[in-house]
Amino acid sequence: MKHLLNQKKTIPILKNIQDIDLVGYGKSIEIFKQVGNPKDVVKKFSLDKFSGSHAIGHTRMATESAITTDGSHPYSTGEDECLVHNGSLSNHNNLRRSLIKDGIEFKSQNDTEVAAGYISNSLKNKTSLKETLTNGLKDLDGFYTFITGTQKGFAVLRDEIACKPAVIAETKDYVAIASEFQAMAHLPDVNKADIYEPKPGIVYSWGS
Amino acid sequence: MNFDLSKKTLREVNSYLQNIDLKSNQRDFVIKNPLGNHALCAGLQDEIKVTIKGHVGYYCAGMNKKAEVTIEGNVGTGVAENMMSGLVHVKGNASQSAGATGQGGTLVIDGDASSRCGISMKGINIIVKGSVGHMSAFMAQSGNLVILGDADEYLGDSIYEAKIYCLGKVKSLGADCIEKEMNDKEIKHLSALLEAQNIKADPKKFKRYGSARSLYNFKIDNVSSY
Repeated sequence: MKHLLNQKKTIPILKNIQDIDLVGYGKSIEIFKQVGNPKDVVKKFSLDKFSGSHAIGHTRMATESAITTDGSHPYSTGEDECLVHNGSLSNHNNLRRSLIKDGIEFKSQNDTEVAAGYISNSLKNKTSLKETLTNGLKDLDGFYTFITGTQKGFAVLRDEIACKPAVIAETKDYVAIASEFQAMAHLPDVNKADIYEPKPGIVYSWGS
Repeated sequence: MNFDLSKKTLREVNSYLQNIDLKSNQRDFVIKNPLGNHALCAGLQDEIKVTIKGHVGYYCAGMNKKAEVTIEGNVGTGVAENMMSGLVHVKGNASQSAGATGQGGTLVIDGDASSRCGISMKGINIIVKGSVGHMSAFMAQSGNLVILGDADEYLGDSIYEAKIYCLGKVKSLGADCIEKEMNDKEIKHLSALLEAQNIKADPKKFKRYGSARSLYNFKIDNVSSY
């Protein structure tokens, strides 16, 4: 399920082919999702052959919706946008209703998709990613660590209680963010990296 | 004796250290390539010294009794949680809930500790040379939390009888936590805590925080609320 499509072309195709689910669109961000062992999914999509400036991987323990490809992260509700989320939102139903009124489309009942829609809606109005996420602190009720990517860069935000973990490693060559250090223990020169925990309620962003 | 976690399993290393043959004279251990593993050195109960060379995951040296564990790197959530005695020394930064529910012993963190450091501590001494994150010493029952840097919001929220000493700035105090007098007895008490770890800092410059005791005591005026 590879989707690297121009939005204008995508819509007519989807109308005719009912079995296709669009997981994202744009010019540079590619999204792959599937249910299964991460090792098999990585192999199936030949992720080792990819290159680029930023990448996000996510495995999900389902809480708010079923274990399906539809329920998998990342969620993309805008051109070259994606969001992964560790946590749970409590006001997603109300927020979904108000975003639908603003013209945002949703495909699942998942709470994270609502947060992705919230971000798309704000970016659409030329608000910066950093400001969008800062506004999210008052509009998104629940607990979360978000990582969001756009064509230009990416950002991480933890809610103000910060019960969901995150750790950042920065070297002169790269920035890595993970739920725990174990996920990046094999990165080159990680033992020389500046390793710290993002503070609650503060947006950390790179290149965006 | 050296262990390499890229060659041995976590279970093998922990099991060896938890079941020391006291007839042997081997008391010093080094663990290489910890690779962020969780629960490393949890449940040690003998007087041994362990040095971990690198970053570790969650609950490192949890439930420690008697052992001296030094981590030459950062630690994940809950380092030395529920420690009973001994010493845990983190040379890098610590993640959330460092020393949570610790009942005794000493936890020293050379870098910063993040949110909820010393949550529900019950007798442990925690010394953080850097700063602590928000809600540190939340519901702390007894023991000492010494902070040489700053403290984020809601320090000592709903605190019982633990003592907090802070050299830097406190962003805000939590419910029922107040500044308390730093008298001669307290200065002497703090001096002993600092000297035990060879820390050169003037105890007179610290501020002390503790419980106003208005939250956890039953008050007859509030009887109608129950």
